[in-house]
Amino acid sequence: MEPEILLIGVMTAGVTLYALMGGADFGAGVWEFNTALRAGEKERALIYRAIGPVWEANHVWLIFVLVALFSGFPPAFAGLSRALWVPLLLALLGIVFRGVGFAFRSYAADSVRLKTVWGAVFALASTAAPFFLGACVGAIASGRLGVSSDGAYSGDHLTGWINPVSIFCAFYGVGICAYLAAAYMTREARNEGEAALTEVWRRRALVTGLWMGLLSAAGLAIIATSAQELWEGFKDRAWPAVFTSFGAGTFSIIALWRRRFTGAALGAAVTVGAVVVGWGLAQYPALIPPEITLHGARAPREVLWTFLGVIGIGSLLLIPSLVLLLVLFKGKRPDDA
Amino acid sequence: MEPLLAARLQMTLTLGFHIVFACFGVGLPVLLLVAEGRYLRTRDEGWRTLARRWSKSFGVLFAVGAVSGTVLSFELGLLWPDFMGTFGSVIGLPFTLEAFAFFIEAIFVGIYIYTWDRLSPRAHWLSAFPIAAAGIASAAFVVTANAWMNCPQGFLLVGGKVVYAEPLRAMLNPASGPQVVHMILAAGLVAGFGIASVYAVGILRGNDSPHRRRALALGLAMGAICAPLQAISGDWAARVVARTQPVKFAAMEGQFRTQAGAPLRIGGLPDSETETTRFALEIPGGLSWLARGDPDAVVEGLDRVPRTDRPPVAVVHLAFQAMVGAGVALLALSVWVGGTLVLRKRLPQGRFFLWWVALAGPLAALALEAGWVVTEVGRQPWIVQGILRTRNAVTDSPGVGWVFAAALAIYAALTAATIIALRHLARK
Repeated sequence: MEPEILLIGVMTAGVTLYALMGGADFGAGVWEFNTALRAGEKERALIYRAIGPVWEANHVWLIFVLVALFSGFPPAFAGLSRALWVPLLLALLGIVFRGVGFAFRSYAADSVRLKTVWGAVFALASTAAPFFLGACVGAIASGRLGVSSDGAYSGDHLTGWINPVSIFCAFYGVGICAYLAAAYMTREARNEGEAALTEVWRRRALVTGLWMGLLSAAGLAIIATSAQELWEGFKDRAWPAVFTSFGAGTFSIIALWRRRFTGAALGAAVTVGAVVVGWGLAQYPALIPPEITLHGARAPREVLWTFLGVIGIGSLLLIPSLVLLLVLFKGKRPDDA
Repeated sequence: MEPLLAARLQMTLTLGFHIVFACFGVGLPVLLLVAEGRYLRTRDEGWRTLARRWSKSFGVLFAVGAVSGTVLSFELGLLWPDFMGTFGSVIGLPFTLEAFAFFIEAIFVGIYIYTWDRLSPRAHWLSAFPIAAAGIASAAFVVTANAWMNCPQGFLLVGGKVVYAEPLRAMLNPASGPQVVHMILAAGLVAGFGIASVYAVGILRGNDSPHRRRALALGLAMGAICAPLQAISGDWAARVVARTQPVKFAAMEGQFRTQAGAPLRIGGLPDSETETTRFALEIPGGLSWLARGDPDAVVEGLDRVPRTDRPPVAVVHLAFQAMVGAGVALLALSVWVGGTLVLRKRLPQGRFFLWWVALAGPLAALALEAGWVVTEVGRQPWIVQGILRTRNAVTDSPGVGWVFAAALAIYAALTAATIIALRHLARK
């Protein structure tokens, strides 16, 4: 198999895990943003307990994907850095403030004023980050970025990233995060024995889930009308992902309705994961459509094999560590409940 | 503002900020391990309390370090797209390794901070080992990428495109060894003396207690052990720079003329117009001896290259002097502590000693920043020594000056907020 195919597979897995794990952390902040006037202290405390131990690690997936991109496909990284100058800077701003907002809020604030300030920073930044990251994804997928095969950029530096697909994906990104967070938090609340909060989160997850289903259909319509190449990709290759996402989404809604919260959380994860994989399949083999492709932008093959070897060895350390983290904080906790 | 200058200042600001937090990310876990290990051996609750308090501050420092590190990885492309677009494949390996190390560190930081009451004391202590190991490893990896910019090797460039690369050879370039050792010891100095400083200030203000003395001693121990080792590694690093980057070395030493029996200059102000370094205390033959082990050896000067290929000499020389000066002050403290410990079996006492310790933290940070100025400004006008000019690597995106202005405001706010958070934790 060609190493660039393997590497893009690993990167897609990385983006998926970032969406599923980091996305849920953003989503918790999105909910705090949306409910700023109403959320009780108990509700906030549950959010912070759920995210606290895992958010640092969840966040590293982004770094991992970024590093893999510039190592394996340098011109693509240069091209994106040029074309997405504005949305990347804004996403970065969100990432920085959601991180420090969370850390200061949970480790170092017990005055009400400080907690309110950092809580607000966390909430606002958690919404901004997936908004602009979503816009970046949409801008890439739209095929309108004007990045040539050597990574040069001919579009407008300030507004070149704005088009119907990128704007849609910005909102869709925020929605995905909110949906995941609600689905996960329902389970967290149940595990902590918080009956009232479980109901709150269940209702949120149900409503968001249904809205996201409608939004997904609308998204396909937008792609069909304004991103022809991508739409062809969906028809040719990515339709199984679309059906998987639809099926898993339906399953997670039913599971929520029937109060099977672990099933609902897993269903939500598969729903979102299939969206990410579907995007990848639909634009394959383009990395930044239309001009930058996997084969055109790749580093020399022997270099790619070295990276893949290192990623393989690194995973031997990483995967058991991740499992340990998830078992400790996301597994069943009879003694804590 | 000229985009090149704005981009360089932006890099200076964000790297200079991150590096301080990164040092605590490397050094503090070692202190946590020692403190909690002492608790396991002695069952003295004081040690556990100390580790537990530090772990919260560590959580804050690590979080700020993580986000400021994320900023840097994006900035590599946002500010220097041609650099990454050309050489991403050559230096990707250390960054990939660093990503894994950072992953391990982040995972175990979560476990360590949140399982004080859930895991057995021994298991909890063990969970700090991966943090310490991964912290040191990630520093080592990422510094090799910088070392490569100083000593690029392991690739073949045809028509401005890398057609062949050996990432491992690129990573293991001649500058990597000394730079990695120098950086990790610097982290030990900053974290160790930094912690000791905080407690010294507290004691000077009248908040004395056995708990504070113990915390001071632990931080001081790490700093005092690293200081003499740092002097040795600094000598090694300088020799390698003299061999591999003679122009940077000449700028560090204010050596304009290629000369046999070059003097070692202490202090002094280089003047690029007249090509002289004035007001320096000169030790005849000293530089030749330090660089080549022979007081009569020829040391290459800045005159070896045209003016357009020289770094801003005054900045590099003064930063180098500041680093060495601060290092000497730390070394003297280390010798004093070590000597008193051997002769009298106790730490030095008195306010003068406490003042010195209180200054040691800021001095270590000063040496750290000055050292990075030396290596980065000293490489100019190159981003990749001898191969790619910084001017040709900078982005042509608009508004870099505005971005820098915003970053300045944001980082000032972050610094203030971090200090408030840490002071708050210290009061608890």
